[in-house]
Amino acid sequence: MKHIFNKYYTGIISVMLIILTSCNDLNQVPTGQFTDETYWYSTDKASYVLNMAYNQMMNDSYFFANEALSDNLFVCRTSDEKLISSGIGSATTGRFANEWSDCFGGIRTCDTFLENVDRVPGMDATLKARMIAETRFIRASLFFRLTTWYGDVPLFEKNLTVAESKTIARTSHADVLKFVRAELDAAAKDLPTSYPKADIGRVTSGAAISLKARTYLYENDWANVVATCKQVIDSKVYSLFSDYAGLFSAANENNSEVILDVQYVPTLRTWSEYFDFAPPSAGRRVNQQAPTQELVDSYLMLTGDSIHATGSGFVETNPYVNRDPRLAATVLFDGGKWKMPDGTDLTIKIKPGSGTIDEYKSGSGNNSLTGYYMKKYADPTYTGSFNSGLNLILIRYADILLMYAEAQNELGKMDQATWDATIKLIRSRAGFTTSNALDYNSSWTQADLRKIIRNERRIELALEGTRIFDIRRWKTAETVLNGYPHGAQYGTAGVDNGYIRLDKRSFNPNRDYLFAVPQAQKDLDPNLGQNPGY
Amino acid sequence: MNILKITNSKQEHRRCVFPIFIFLLFIGSINLSAQNRKLTLSLEKVSLRQLFNAIEKQSDYKFLYRDFILDDKKDLSIRVEGKEVTSVLDQVLPGKELQYKIQGNNINIIRKYIVSTGTPITIKGTVVDESGEPLIGASVMQRGAASNSRITDINGNFLMTVQPGAALSIKYIGYISEDVVVKDDRTLKIRLSEDVKKLDEVVVIGYGTAQRKSVVGAVDQINSKKIEDRPVSNLSQALQGVAANLTIQQKSMNPNDNQLNINIRGVGTMGNNDPLVVIDGLVTSLSSLSQLNPSDVENISILKDAGSAAIYGSRSANGVILVTTKKGKLDTKPVIRLNTLVGMQSPNVLYKPVAGFENAILKDEAAFNTGNPLPYSPAQIQDLKANGAGSEWFLDQILQSALQQNYSLSLSGGSSNSTYMVSAGYVNQRSNFVSGSNPSYGMDRYNFRTNMVNQYGKFKLTTILSYNRTESNAPNASTGNLMADGGRIPNYYYYQQKAPNGHYLINDVLSQFTPLGSLEAAGFNKYDTDYINGSTTGELKVFNGLTAKAMAGIDLYADHRYSRGLEVPYYSSATATAPSITQNVGGSTSDWNEKRYTINTQFLLDYDRTFNKTHHVGGLLGVSNEAYSRYSNEIWMNYVDPNLGIPTSQTALAGNMGGKTTPMNTTKSDIASAFGRLSYSYKDKYYGEVSFRYDGSSKFAKDNRWGFFPSVSGGWRISEEPFMNSYKSKVGDLKFRGSYGVLGNQNVGDYNFLTVYTTYNNSYGFNGVSASGTGFQLGNPVLTWEQSANFNLGLDATFFNNNLYASFDFFNKETSGILLNPITPSVLGTTVGMQNSGKMQNRGWELTIGYHAKTGDFKHNISFNLADSRNKVITFTGNEVIRSGDKTDIIRVGSPFASYYGYKTDGFFKSYADIQNSAIPVGLDASQLAPGDVKYKDINHDGVIDSKDRQILGNAFPRYTFGLTYDVTWKGFDLNMLIQGVGERTMFLRGELIEPFHANYSYVIYQHQLDFWTPTNTDSKWPRLALPGSTSDVNNYGYSSQTQIMNAAYIRLKNIAIGYTIPKSITSRFGVQKLHLSVNAQNLLTFSPLSFYDPESSEYGNDMGGSGGGVGANSGRSYPTLKYVGFGLDLEF
Repeated sequence: MKHIFNKYYTGIISVMLIILTSCNDLNQVPTGQFTDETYWYSTDKASYVLNMAYNQMMNDSYFFANEALSDNLFVCRTSDEKLISSGIGSATTGRFANEWSDCFGGIRTCDTFLENVDRVPGMDATLKARMIAETRFIRASLFFRLTTWYGDVPLFEKNLTVAESKTIARTSHADVLKFVRAELDAAAKDLPTSYPKADIGRVTSGAAISLKARTYLYENDWANVVATCKQVIDSKVYSLFSDYAGLFSAANENNSEVILDVQYVPTLRTWSEYFDFAPPSAGRRVNQQAPTQELVDSYLMLTGDSIHATGSGFVETNPYVNRDPRLAATVLFDGGKWKMPDGTDLTIKIKPGSGTIDEYKSGSGNNSLTGYYMKKYADPTYTGSFNSGLNLILIRYADILLMYAEAQNELGKMDQATWDATIKLIRSRAGFTTSNALDYNSSWTQADLRKIIRNERRIELALEGTRIFDIRRWKTAETVLNGYPHGAQYGTAGVDNGYIRLDKRSFNPNRDYLFAVPQAQKDLDPNLGQNPGY
Repeated sequence: MNILKITNSKQEHRRCVFPIFIFLLFIGSINLSAQNRKLTLSLEKVSLRQLFNAIEKQSDYKFLYRDFILDDKKDLSIRVEGKEVTSVLDQVLPGKELQYKIQGNNINIIRKYIVSTGTPITIKGTVVDESGEPLIGASVMQRGAASNSRITDINGNFLMTVQPGAALSIKYIGYISEDVVVKDDRTLKIRLSEDVKKLDEVVVIGYGTAQRKSVVGAVDQINSKKIEDRPVSNLSQALQGVAANLTIQQKSMNPNDNQLNINIRGVGTMGNNDPLVVIDGLVTSLSSLSQLNPSDVENISILKDAGSAAIYGSRSANGVILVTTKKGKLDTKPVIRLNTLVGMQSPNVLYKPVAGFENAILKDEAAFNTGNPLPYSPAQIQDLKANGAGSEWFLDQILQSALQQNYSLSLSGGSSNSTYMVSAGYVNQRSNFVSGSNPSYGMDRYNFRTNMVNQYGKFKLTTILSYNRTESNAPNASTGNLMADGGRIPNYYYYQQKAPNGHYLINDVLSQFTPLGSLEAAGFNKYDTDYINGSTTGELKVFNGLTAKAMAGIDLYADHRYSRGLEVPYYSSATATAPSITQNVGGSTSDWNEKRYTINTQFLLDYDRTFNKTHHVGGLLGVSNEAYSRYSNEIWMNYVDPNLGIPTSQTALAGNMGGKTTPMNTTKSDIASAFGRLSYSYKDKYYGEVSFRYDGSSKFAKDNRWGFFPSVSGGWRISEEPFMNSYKSKVGDLKFRGSYGVLGNQNVGDYNFLTVYTTYNNSYGFNGVSASGTGFQLGNPVLTWEQSANFNLGLDATFFNNNLYASFDFFNKETSGILLNPITPSVLGTTVGMQNSGKMQNRGWELTIGYHAKTGDFKHNISFNLADSRNKVITFTGNEVIRSGDKTDIIRVGSPFASYYGYKTDGFFKSYADIQNSAIPVGLDASQLAPGDVKYKDINHDGVIDSKDRQILGNAFPRYTFGLTYDVTWKGFDLNMLIQGVGERTMFLRGELIEPFHANYSYVIYQHQLDFWTPTNTDSKWPRLALPGSTSDVNNYGYSSQTQIMNAAYIRLKNIAIGYTIPKSITSRFGVQKLHLSVNAQNLLTFSPLSFYDPESSEYGNDMGGSGGGVGANSGRSYPTLKYVGFGLDLEF
């Protein structure tokens, strides 16, 4: 029996060996993805990582949601922004967690680029310096976003390990800002003032200086705001675009006023928020958010007077005539026009009784609950379901002028010349022609001017995502974000003079000027601590 | 087959008190020599059995015999002194027509075959079953003259020439063999009884089979009888309720999207909980169960514990499902079988809207309650009432009853050295969604199979080839959207989906599209899957007991999807001239192909031998390799030609094409394994087994690639012990068994141990030109196998002459190194692929009872199973994670995995004073609340309701699952039913089914919501009505709380069938052997505290959302529960 077994044994062993060595190998590497070993071998591949950093710098959803945190908009459905503005944001609110993780996600991309770019063989030195500067700008902008929302945040200059990420503590707001400004200075040095056509949309030295101006603005550091803004103004690279409404159209992208924007590409890289902002007859889905009466009321009459001023000519029953033209360019109101992709203009009837599907209806969240619709950035060149390739501007020259004017006034240095170089330019571009609206009035006190400049800022930049930061730095959020916001005068007659009373808002000044450190992050890293009140 | 009765001697009894495992060391060392002794007997009027017992007591001999050959007559009287055993036997056996043969210390008692010299006679016999139906292919053999044998023909008849007095042995698989002695009669009728006794059942185990009585692991076997004749469209559905702790939840009954969760013994890990599926020895994916033709299945084994599953080490931690398909039988004539089931499936939507005008009145009440202007004037309500008669709910407009047809045709048989089974099947299940003039939605499946076995002397070749094709035509819209959009429109006469002129209409609620428009005009998703499962196995009997086996097989899927999005214009009214919105602007075409296959090669050495009828030794040693490859590609175009879907001048490739080209979607993995098993049993009394598997997986880096998975198990059939003799004769069989082992799991992505960079198109743009971007994921080079340590204790017992079979198992499973997507702080800025972190415990028990009884002409067959499992997270990074989305759940150390989490409620506010004195959710304005609003429990007594007050509210995984099958036959009639259910389970239900006029999304209040709080109905189920968005509404429905937690226990009559077999005397005239007609129904009755939603539905997959996701919630988005009523016809030629 033994020799039989031996005979088979030999056969069996050889079959076993054949089986074990056949088929797929135990060493498998992906064919559709690069690994750390195979990635950093060309300039193109390095640039893709930088492109991803651009992608993570800012996005359309935050761009429009930020405005919903302010008193310019009302959220008609539900969102984290609605929770936050209702005063019931907590450390577990999704927006707080997402903003935190999205910013740090972008920072990781930047750090990965910075740590590996030297591995790329044969890279052009100038190009490399520029790309590093672009990356440092994006990283600085993300830390600035973080510290603006959260105050103290973890600060680091190279990729964390998993272990480090579980122990890192927060750096003070002041130190983070110091880092941000130093990085922006460094970036500005290696960045060009402008790009050849193919690279338009990349960050410029002007963008770096402008963002730095913002870092001072948000600290009310007026002298530095003036100094940095002046750098931008004096560079003479930027100028106001001729047409306010046209500034936000696809035809005029990358115009002379744009300092920093988020770039999109029709059909390929698009945003589609207007699917949920547009009026029903334009073929929208639902209505997510809509302008408030308070925003509408802040627009001046063409005379330059506030609607509340005596003799302004404001008629409550016909409220949208003879108003600052920027109102019609920003907000869609009853009887307003809506441009369709085929070029036709729809007249939108919102006032109850019109019998159209755009008509305001109490308690129907599919239509606007305020009686207004958003209009700025509505892009008639969209494809499909409001897929728009229109760039979204983050910093434009008008903002620099407004910052400059505000800072000069706060320093007690507002004068005819400054006014003419800032507010007057902006107002005349907007379409004001009367002297009352355009010209400096030497009888204005600093407080009068503060009111005028702040209101001008609100109107000029409405729906561009900046309002929430302004009311926070002015500490007026606790006033304008408390109580009932309103819609158009389609409400119950006896209540608030017939203006639709919307859901109450609440802002706790001891808590809500900062976002909460996300609870889950705090749980993973006990060294993070928490902001007051959460 | 009868039970071989084995009696034991004293001496052996002493030996056997050693613990079981010692026996493993004792192989070959037991003294086998017999010690003869002289007998001294003095017996009066005893039976042979008693005589044998007496002899055994005085000697080392033991008697081996078949029960039926002894008579029980007490007619023996014996007095001997100092006589040899042979002389005693010689004295008594001839009179009983018996003879003996001594082998060692065994005495075999057999019948004495009288070889008569008389004239041979030709006899005509008929072999029938208990109901008198002929048995075709039964073997009839003359004892002592094996060459003289016959096989019964198509009428169960045989002709044979034998001498009078010859003994015939009649055998038929699945029946108890009979011996008859030919007397003078020329005709014989032999009636065989079905062998329904569990102990001798052959159970399929990993790489082999075993008899039930010798199985020491926790194995359930489901035989074809429980699967056949069920009007189900796939095999997985047929498995529901038939085995303990095989938990199957049908999440969606949509034929295009048939979602089933399969868990064996609950949730054992935080990641992938899919059991391993092996079809005819080939490892395949879970989805393959749905591709098979249920009629082709011979049996299914469920391996639950380490003892039985460790041989599949690598991926068996979640249990193993072994499917064996039918083969032909040797020496049988061809049998053609046709099974037909045709029936209607009607959608059963359990929630219904109130009448239109009532809806308006109640919406006014909600507005009034919260101080809002009333949306409906009395005149409008009057109008709704006056015109409401003919209005139909949108959901009713898009649902219909649908036809389901199952056909299966098979041909099987065999010659003396080969068998064949060839089958074809066809299933056609139409969707319950209407399709207008489109081809109807639904699923068609075609199955073909050839199973051949050829024997050439010592060599056996088994070839299996099955080809399965599924074609599916699905709407170009998700089930969720269709159901939700259909359900959220109140029954107002003026809401219409389609105008008489054919315009699809939108309205102020459905402002984008309507479900009817989507179904009738918006395009389709056509899927087809070709699935091939085939293998060739060669087996060689090398020498006594040793078999060498080599197998090569392929499990191949070719999937294809062709989708069209068609433009649908929607109008604001029937008279509108221009559409106000267009669905699928520009139209789209997408074409997706995928091929994935596993090539499996195995080589096994199998040794199985019994020595001296005492020592049964089994050994298995094998190697295997599984190579998996997947390739796919996709193209997706927008702005295509509306008719042909081909590109036009405007065509654009859709959005992000990244990840859709072949190199992007190619993955390969490989597992190489060596495995083995060694088993030993002693006299079918003591069983011991060790098995192991050593696996290397390409999913792990070189140093962490290999995992070793051992197990040990043992069994003790205590009823075989002499001291249990009276127990055995009075009660039955009793066996204890236990196992312990470590199993593995490697269900992670293919390249998780590497840091990978993925390039995406269109990540950014510069000056209107898109640019690619690269993202990355950190790899984890130390990734390795997840391990689960399994302990199982079981008890098998039979009662009432083996007619009642009971089995109980307790198990404890600890899974460690769970493969998790680790939750890392966001400051890390990226995700880490996978990590071996996390530990979980899962323990539970199972009870299975089977009972056979015969009362008069009634034959009953009952089987019942009841099981429980409960898991607990032991370690988890960060100790807990709260997952919020449509619902909130928590993974928390010490609690069951993925438990519902939220606020406990304390009834409703009784008065304004009650509100003032109670904690309310932080941020809410108490002055806006009113009596009848939900009051929450302030768990930490800090005066506010905030996130710190949240508690665990329940868990969605079913507990106390049970199934009861009952078959009864009476003459030609048969009835069988399956009752299945869940004893304890909670379900989180969100949205419109909970909140009336949900979040400005639904505009409906359903009938089940009418029991709301009013000052005169304070003992209500639901809070007072409030408009969405109001403070009361936010308070009542805005938090994850007990308001949304439902009791989803249920009992369901899953299946009932009544059939009748037309007597053969009639059918044989038409050449038909069997004609069986039946009426079947599925889901006919359900009892549940949850009356308005299918209690079986679950938002979770079988991993409870795993460690990463699972934030959906049950809502009015589920496909409706289906009731099936139909007819069945079985034909056999």
